Amino acid sequence: MRPLPHHRRRLSREAIVGLSLASAYLVFAAIFWAYPFFWLARLSVTQWRFFDEPVFTGARNFVRTIQDPQFLVSLWNVVRFLAFYLPLAFGGALLVAFGLRHVRRGKAFVALCFLLSNVSSGVALSLVFTKIFSSTGPLNTLIHDWTGARIPWTSHPTLAMLAIALVVAWKFVGYYGLILYSGLLTIPAEIYDAARLDHAGPLTRLARITLPMLNAQLMMVLVFAILVSFGLFTEPFLITGGGPSDSTVTPQMMIYETAFRRLQPSHAATMSIIVSLVSYLLIVLARRLFEKKVTLA
Amino acid sequence: MRIGSRSVGGWAATIGIYALALTWLYPFAWMVAASLKPTAQIYNTALFSGDWTLDNFRFLFGAADKLDRPFLQATAISALVTLTVTASVLLTSAFIAFALARLRFPGAKLFGDFLLLQMVVPTAMFILPLFVLMKQLGLLNSLGALIVPSAMSGWGIYMMSQSFKAMPEEYFDAARLDRASLWQTVTRIVVPLNKSIIAIVALFTFTGTWDNFLWPLIVISDTDRMPLSVLLATFSKQYGGYAGPVMAGAVLQTLPLVLLFILFRRHFLQGMSLTLK
Repeated sequence: MRPLPHHRRRLSREAIVGLSLASAYLVFAAIFWAYPFFWLARLSVTQWRFFDEPVFTGARNFVRTIQDPQFLVSLWNVVRFLAFYLPLAFGGALLVAFGLRHVRRGKAFVALCFLLSNVSSGVALSLVFTKIFSSTGPLNTLIHDWTGARIPWTSHPTLAMLAIALVVAWKFVGYYGLILYSGLLTIPAEIYDAARLDHAGPLTRLARITLPMLNAQLMMVLVFAILVSFGLFTEPFLITGGGPSDSTVTPQMMIYETAFRRLQPSHAATMSIIVSLVSYLLIVLARRLFEKKVTLA
Repeated sequence: MRIGSRSVGGWAATIGIYALALTWLYPFAWMVAASLKPTAQIYNTALFSGDWTLDNFRFLFGAADKLDRPFLQATAISALVTLTVTASVLLTSAFIAFALARLRFPGAKLFGDFLLLQMVVPTAMFILPLFVLMKQLGLLNSLGALIVPSAMSGWGIYMMSQSFKAMPEEYFDAARLDRASLWQTVTRIVVPLNKSIIAIVALFTFTGTWDNFLWPLIVISDTDRMPLSVLLATFSKQYGGYAGPVMAGAVLQTLPLVLLFILFRRHFLQGMSLTLK
């Protein structure tokens, strides 16, 4: 056989190496991603109890799941969580972002202080916050010394959700803040100079320049916040256990309970598909409502 | 004009932001203080006062015999699993990302799109069917169930490939002239020039594996095979009254993550601005 021209042969060797590296990952993804995907689809249309043969039941799982009152409560709890979490997350993140821009010395130190909660242990800190929020804990001691009252953080439905939102916001505000800060750096200073010449006050500058120019970063934070809220498990599981009376039960806790405590994997699979669809729809809706293409004309 | 000097409000804001940053560390301070105090003093002494003692840590490591909670072993399991997963993810991601970013092969674009698709589908959806898979493979209640499904990461490949794409072509021309092998090209040229993104992938993989809770909670049922995160949670659930030892366990669970974060802080901050683009 005639050898191929030199450059052709090198190119094909490159292609072989590239293809074999890519296919190594594709084999892994086929086993641990595509195959589970197939099982999830299969479970959602069958009745199965972990050991028997799945029996086809069609849409019955879906009908049953969307009528399950406890599952609907868990979805509603995501909305209740977001009602506390979004103001905390956006307020905190803007504070961190403006703070970072304002501070001149020790920028890295300030950023690291806010980020430490993001990269440390959710399990350990959930246990710490359980103690901090307890009726004799340091937070209540402080409040008691000031006002003479104690706050039942984990035994009142609304306060329990606020407590969870505070813990999760504490964890993510530094990260969100850094996202907004990177956006602040890209706003040209000339716009502010022009606005000052037009006698625009600080609030006008914030509402008419800074926030619109940060739209891409604010959207990113919003999408992350929605994803976090649908994925909540560790914090409510360890801090409130879903209580009092299911007021802090999250969809992920419902899926865990249904699949591994009540041994109804078909029901749980249907739940996880619905939860993913709802979170996806909410993100699409949020982008439709708030996303803007901002260009400098 | 303000050159070098600030208004009173400006100084107040600066002090305010420093104070807030330090307040953010309060839960860590409280955790460490509580782990070093007798349980009876945790709730009724000021943060930095009390009779300092290491009894809580002694109790924790002694809990293996008395309470069937082998914390030393769980720490070793967590370390083994986390180091194996992190090493595997870094190695596979670096090579596959190099292929995606720098090698021309049919379907490369499609492969990149597939990685993006994977990142959009929430991982929480897969926990139940992955459990079924582990059951079929006979891996339930073994360390394999903690390691194998996380051995590669589409996210890691994607992140690294984004950074590798930005490298100037000249480096690779030189490598070709020197007839460098694939291994040499990746380990001697690509890795040293992309330390920040590799540090980011390493840190997030390490943290995510060490602190993973839901997955080991599902696949591991024996206390002598549990990683630290799950053992600590079950210990707290059953013996919540032992606040001191629980906080000692929390310190143990947090310490490696905090140390790693402080050690890699420079790469981390650099890499963060990379991931934020």
